Amino acid sequence: MFIVDTDVHNYWSSAEVLLPYLEPYWRDFMVRGEKPGPAGSFPHGHRPWLHPEGFSRHDIKPQTEEDNYLIMKEKHLDLYDIDVAILTADEPLEASTLANYHYANALVKAYNDYMIDWWLPKDRRFKGSIIISPTDPHGAAAEIRRLGGHKDIVQVLASHGSQRPYGDPFYHPIFEACAEVGLPFAIHFGGQGGVNHNAVASGPTAYYWETHALLSQPAMTHVVSMISNGVFEKYPDLYFVVIECGVSWVPSLMWRLDANFKALRKETPWLKMLPSEYCRRNIRFSTQPLEQPQNVKHLWETLEHMDGQNTLLFASDYPHWDFDAPTNLHIPPAWRDKVMGLNALEVYKRIEAPAATAKVA
Amino acid sequence: MEAALAPSRTYACKVAEVATGQPKIVTFGRISVGIFQLHDGYAALLNICPHRAGQLCEGPVCGTTRQTDKTEFVYERAGELVRCAWHGWEFEIRSGKCLVDDRLKARTFPVHRDGEDLYVELGR
Repeated sequence: MFIVDTDVHNYWSSAEVLLPYLEPYWRDFMVRGEKPGPAGSFPHGHRPWLHPEGFSRHDIKPQTEEDNYLIMKEKHLDLYDIDVAILTADEPLEASTLANYHYANALVKAYNDYMIDWWLPKDRRFKGSIIISPTDPHGAAAEIRRLGGHKDIVQVLASHGSQRPYGDPFYHPIFEACAEVGLPFAIHFGGQGGVNHNAVASGPTAYYWETHALLSQPAMTHVVSMISNGVFEKYPDLYFVVIECGVSWVPSLMWRLDANFKALRKETPWLKMLPSEYCRRNIRFSTQPLEQPQNVKHLWETLEHMDGQNTLLFASDYPHWDFDAPTNLHIPPAWRDKVMGLNALEVYKRIEAPAATAKVA
Repeated sequence: MEAALAPSRTYACKVAEVATGQPKIVTFGRISVGIFQLHDGYAALLNICPHRAGQLCEGPVCGTTRQTDKTEFVYERAGELVRCAWHGWEFEIRSGKCLVDDRLKARTFPVHRDGEDLYVELGR
């Protein structure tokens, strides 16, 4: 089966791998400046929640930087016969938490160059994401234009923690750049500290597990905002990919949106379709962490209401503690070919279709 | 009696290769098993978690938090549990019982010590 894993975290053992890629001013800033932990920690504004066990699977124990790839290859890419792995970084997403947006821009730029230089050549299965810091949309747009033409770059990626809902016109320079270079805009769970202080509605929760269970909250806000602000009228071909934010909430949100829109559409006269129709056309959701009801039929029925067969993209979240193995994904068997790989081809145009599919098409 | 049972026992590893809190992962053909030292002996678990087939025995050996009726944090049963390497679900090393789901049980194997050698009964 053709498998595209849309969320593979390319870890590092130390953020100092970025030093050769930073411009001198920022290299000095990172070496001598304050850091949120010991040498090797990535500059970011931290979350109010500390994970009680650590984020990574305990069977992944890299000793060297090279191990971060070698273990991924053995325990994930080869083990599950993954055809394409979309690298989603890890700590670099947290640059969005820094108030100093110049520093944030410098860090993600260094990461993007490091990823292209160090990770992409290692394995033909790798595709990259341009990490941006949304705190400076014009800086982010410049970074998208700088690297957007690279053949192995398949998306632009930001944290789901942000200062405003992503449909806000403040962010539109980012989408304009995405549309220009032909890349989807994706968000991934994270960036919940520092300047992104409102990542959980009603205020910070006390415990990590409750916070993680609420990872859908900011995603809901972003999905609604992207639709209502007309991003998909302005950029009709833009795909918005929501990674690691859960999926079963989507149908009920669409039911509410469609009902409200029918009554009050005068507020947003630029919309030409129902919110659920924009969602179906322009938004895709990664599966992990797929909800786990007692009776899987309840999940499947819910996913049918969002046309899950066509709107879900498989993601493992390797190597995190809430990892979903490709062999264990509880989706309807008839959906597997599409969800595991073929749907990704619609969104990520630069991924080559497998030979068998190309013949059919 | 010992002699009659002996054929079902398979050599696993040396006693010195297993320490408290540091299980030894031993592979028998296609079967991966974790050999654990407990305070009063040895135990073995199949290295496949019944939750989602993760590498159960490669997770941390630990204790757990006692369920309480008030806001207090009591750490107990240190060394009696293994937390699956993938998703962190807790299992009793001795019985294989899963702490958060009664329906799940990790497969256990008896372990026998003979001098400096450890043997497991893999069964059929």
